Amino acid sequence: MDQHGKAQGPIPISNRNPQFRRDVLKHREAQGLNACFSCGTCTAGCPISEVFPEYSPKKLTKMVKLGMKQEVLASPWIWCCTTCHNCEQHCPQNVQFFSILNVLKNMAAEAGYAPSPWVEQTRQVMRTGLVFPTDEALARKREARSLPAIKSDGAKAKKLIESTGTDKIPAQGDR
Amino acid sequence: MSRYALFLGCTTPTQVIQYEISSRWVCREIGIELVDIADFVCCGMNQVNLSREAGLLLATMNLAHAEAKGLDILTLCASCTGALAEAIERLKDQETRDSVNRKLELVGLEYKGRTRVKHLSRVLYEDVGLERIKGKVKRDLSNLRVAPHYGCHYLKPESAFEGFDDPDNPRTLHELISATGAFPAPYETLPLCCGGKSFPVSREPAFYLVQKKLDDVMSQKIDGLVVQCQTCYLMYSDQQKVINERFGKHYHIPVLLYPQLLGIAMGGDPKDLGLDLHAISLDGLLAKAGMDRWI
Repeated sequence: MDQHGKAQGPIPISNRNPQFRRDVLKHREAQGLNACFSCGTCTAGCPISEVFPEYSPKKLTKMVKLGMKQEVLASPWIWCCTTCHNCEQHCPQNVQFFSILNVLKNMAAEAGYAPSPWVEQTRQVMRTGLVFPTDEALARKREARSLPAIKSDGAKAKKLIESTGTDKIPAQGDR
Repeated sequence: MSRYALFLGCTTPTQVIQYEISSRWVCREIGIELVDIADFVCCGMNQVNLSREAGLLLATMNLAHAEAKGLDILTLCASCTGALAEAIERLKDQETRDSVNRKLELVGLEYKGRTRVKHLSRVLYEDVGLERIKGKVKRDLSNLRVAPHYGCHYLKPESAFEGFDDPDNPRTLHELISATGAFPAPYETLPLCCGGKSFPVSREPAFYLVQKKLDDVMSQKIDGLVVQCQTCYLMYSDQQKVINERFGKHYHIPVLLYPQLLGIAMGGDPKDLGLDLHAISLDGLLAKAGMDRWI
C-alpha cells in the first residue's frame, strides 16, 4: 500500500504473521472476528467507505485474519473511522468491528503509529482533566455569562493514565 | 423534581458555551436541578484511540464521582453519553469492574455500579415528558421547519441504551421538536454522521460528510438544523464557514442546539440562550420564530 492506503496491485500476503490474528483475538471484544463471513454489510453501511473505498471494515477484518500485521497497523486509514457504530449496528453475525478497530488502533499506537492529535489530547487531559486548554480569556467569557468557573484538574486522570502506560505512547514521528 | 450531576465534557464549556448557557436556562425553567461536580474530567472517549483501558478508567472515575454524591449523570454531548453508557454496560461484568476498581484505588475511588447516565434530551423526554414541555411553550414556532440531527452516540452502541429509542429509526428528537411547535422536517441524510470524532486526525472524510448533509438540507426548504451535541454543532456550524471558504461553497444553514429551540419556544431571550454566539447568523430563523425585535 502507498501512504494513502491505496493498494498498488495485488496485496502481497507472503509475509503473513499468524500470531497477529491470535493477538487480536486475545481481546474479548474482538472475538467476533472468527464469526465474520465477509458479507460486507459493515462496509456497505460505513459513511467513510462510501467516499473513500480504501477504508473498508470488511477488508481490514480479512487482513487481520490473514495475519497482515504490518499492513494493518501502519495503515493511515484505521484512524479515519468516525465512530458512528454503523458497522456493528447492522452486522448479521454480531461482529463488533468498532471494538476490533479500537484493538487495532491501540496496537498501532503501541507500535509508534499514533496520530499526534490523540497523543496531545491525552497529555492535555493529564494536565487539566480536559482535552482542550482553558485560559484567562475563556474564564472571563464564562464569568460574563454567569457560568461557573472551570475547576477540573488533571491530577487523578494523570495517575490513571500513567497506570496504563498510555502516557508513554509516542506520537507518530516522535521516535 | 429531577436532580442530576451535570456532565459538561470538554468541548461544551470551552468552545460551545451557548449549549451550556441554554441547557442551564431550560433546566432551571423546567425544574431539573443540575449539580456541578468539580472533579469531573474528560469522559475518556478519545483516549480509547490510544488505550481502551485508559478510556474506561476515565469514564469509570467520572461515574464514581457522581455515585459518591448519590447522583445520576446528565450529559449534553452525545459522545460523552455513549462513552459513559458503554462503560456502565461493560462494568456490569464483575471481573471487569473488579479490575477497574483495583486501578481506581490509586485515586481513592470505587464504582459500585449504581450511577446511570442520560442525555439532556432523554431527561426531557422521559422525566419531564412531552405534555409538560408543550405546556411551557409561549412562542408560536409553527412557521419553523427544522432538520433533526441526532448524533451517533446519543443512541449507540445500542446495547448501552436499554431500548430507549431506535438507532435505526429514531423518533425522540423529532417528538421533542414537535413539542416546541416547530416542524421536524424529513430529509434523506438524517442518519449521516457529522464526522466530528475523526476530524482532529482525518479532515477530508469529515468535510465530505458535512457537505453531504448540508447539500441535502439546503435542497429541502429547511430553516435550520437542530442538533443535540456540541461536536455535531461545531461540524455543521463553524466548519460550514470553513467549507464555504475552502471549497468555494455558499452554505448558509443556521444550526441550533435543541435547548436553544426549546428555550425560544419557552419565551427565553437570546442572551438567556446564547443565541448571540453563533458562527452562522440565526436572523432568518429567529424572524420566522417571531423574534424580529431581537435582530
